This record gives sequence, C-alpha cells and structure tokens, in this order.
Amino acid sequence: MFNESHMDQIFHALSHETRRKILDLLRDRPGQGVGVLARSFDVSRIAIMNHLTVLEKAGLVISEKDGRSRLLYLNLVPLQMIHERWSDEYGAHWAGRLTTLKNLAEQKAAQGGEKT
Amino acid sequence: MTDSNRVPTAAPSSGKAMYKAMINAPIETVWNLLVQTDEVLPFFFGAVCHTTGLKPGAPMAMQSRNGKYTSVVGEVLEFDPPHRYAHSFKFTQFEDPPCTVTYDLKESGGVTEFTMITENVPAGTKTEKSMAQGGPFITGNLKALVETGSPLLSGKMVTWLGPLMGFMTPRQCRSEYWPLSSLHEKLK
Repeated sequence: MFNESHMDQIFHALSHETRRKILDLLRDRPGQGVGVLARSFDVSRIAIMNHLTVLEKAGLVISEKDGRSRLLYLNLVPLQMIHERWSDEYGAHWAGRLTTLKNLAEQKAAQGGEKT
Repeated sequence: MTDSNRVPTAAPSSGKAMYKAMINAPIETVWNLLVQTDEVLPFFFGAVCHTTGLKPGAPMAMQSRNGKYTSVVGEVLEFDPPHRYAHSFKFTQFEDPPCTVTYDLKESGGVTEFTMITENVPAGTKTEKSMAQGGPFITGNLKALVETGSPLLSGKMVTWLGPLMGFMTPRQCRSEYWPLSSLHEKLK
C-alpha cells in the first residue's frame, strides 16, 4: 500500500494553490500539453514545469509523450487511496461498535433468559 | 435544446483518462489476477468475467456472481500477456456507445507500473461519470488485492452488497439480453 513517505509527497504536492489549480485544469481538460496549461497561469512556464515535477513524483499527474510534446492527465488513484485509508478506519470503528452492541444484546438476552 | 437526451456523436474533449498505481508485486502476479475469468473480481465490483477465451476478437461480459445480470460487455482488442489487455467497453445499463479500456503493465525492479486508460468515452454521458468513478476503484482495489490479499473497503462493500443489488438492477441488464454470441453485432 502507500507508505508514509509517499503520503508525504502527495500532501506536499497538494499543499500549494497553483498545483491544486493544475489538477483542476487537468480534470476539466485531460490530455492538454504543458504549453497550453502554462498559459492559464501568470507565472513562468519553468515554474509550472517545476510544479508538474512535484505532482508527477506524487503520482497525481501522468504525462505521456506525443512526438515532441507531453500530454498531461490527472491521476485520481492516490486521492482514492487517501480516502480509503481513513474510511477503512471508520469502517473498523463501526465494526467495533457493532461488536459491542452484539455483546450487550447477547448479555441482555442471557439475563432475560434467566428470568423466565 | 430539443435533442438533449440524444447520444452526442463526437466527444469534444480528448475523451481519454488514465488511472495509475505502482503495485509492489511481480508483473505476472498482477496480470494473472487482472485476466481471471472464472472468479469473483473484487476490483471489478464483484463481477465475474465471462468469455469464450480472452484473445483478440473474443466477446467478454462482466456478470453478477449468479450470472443473472450483466453490467459490462465488450470485445477483446489486444491481448499481450503480461503487458497489455484492451477491450471495448459498454455499460448494459446506458444507451451510450462503447468506449475502450486498456490495461498497461510494466515491471521494473519487482514493482509493476499499472495504468488503466479509458478512451473514446462519450463526453457528458453517464458512461463518462461511471468511468471516472470506476477507474480509481479498479486501480486502487487491484493494488490492495495484490499487495495485501484483500481489497479496499470499497471493494469489500460491493462484494458484500452484490447479492442484495439484484432487485435494484434495471431489466435491460439481465444476462439473457446479452449472450456472448450477440455482442459483436451489439457493439457495432
């Protein structure tokens, strides 16, 4: 599964407004090139390429060579894994609560059984 | 718009999306799980792949465990073990035309780079929405299944809920409407 250092990379990548904006733009228009993407921002193309490196390292962006240019795609899988990490623990939490409920119910039933 | 319910004829955007994960296992392990045909696939919503044999041109249908319902139908386009598997993909539930799903596997140093690619997804359709939810689900659950031996919570949920879903499934998803022998014609 995702180790902690990969988690750090993902959260680091997400901790910058421009990088989050890049993900928005790639979601809306998958497969756009670096040039088109950079034109949506006021900062330099180099700055955008540096942001893309961070996003790619974290696995949030996939790039595909197309002749001399690179086409960019959003990868939702790391976000899914983050979500599952905590929803899994919530699941375990509720499973724990249900077990407690089951025990209580069975105790009650056993007590009721003694009365009759 | 009078024809807003009609299927769009051309996708305005690239109609392509990718879902990628590094899976900590040899490529054969990932491949063998991906192309299983006689088992419940927790990474594919608890469906079973029903086919005449995975090879180019062969029909395939993702069916519920009891075989009663078919969720997805397609034809194998590429089958190149253990690197590439592509098939056309149509939800039986929607009227949308088929799109293409490709699974691309590369190994380096015992780690498998797994990429699921969806192409020609008709823009603005229910198919597009379902693919955007299905892509991370399939990729994430396949990774979890290979690495830990059990799927993510979402994968476990669909496997548990599977038997309960029958009464909610639309009539047109019944397997009797989607026999393998009819798929070539239906996917045109």
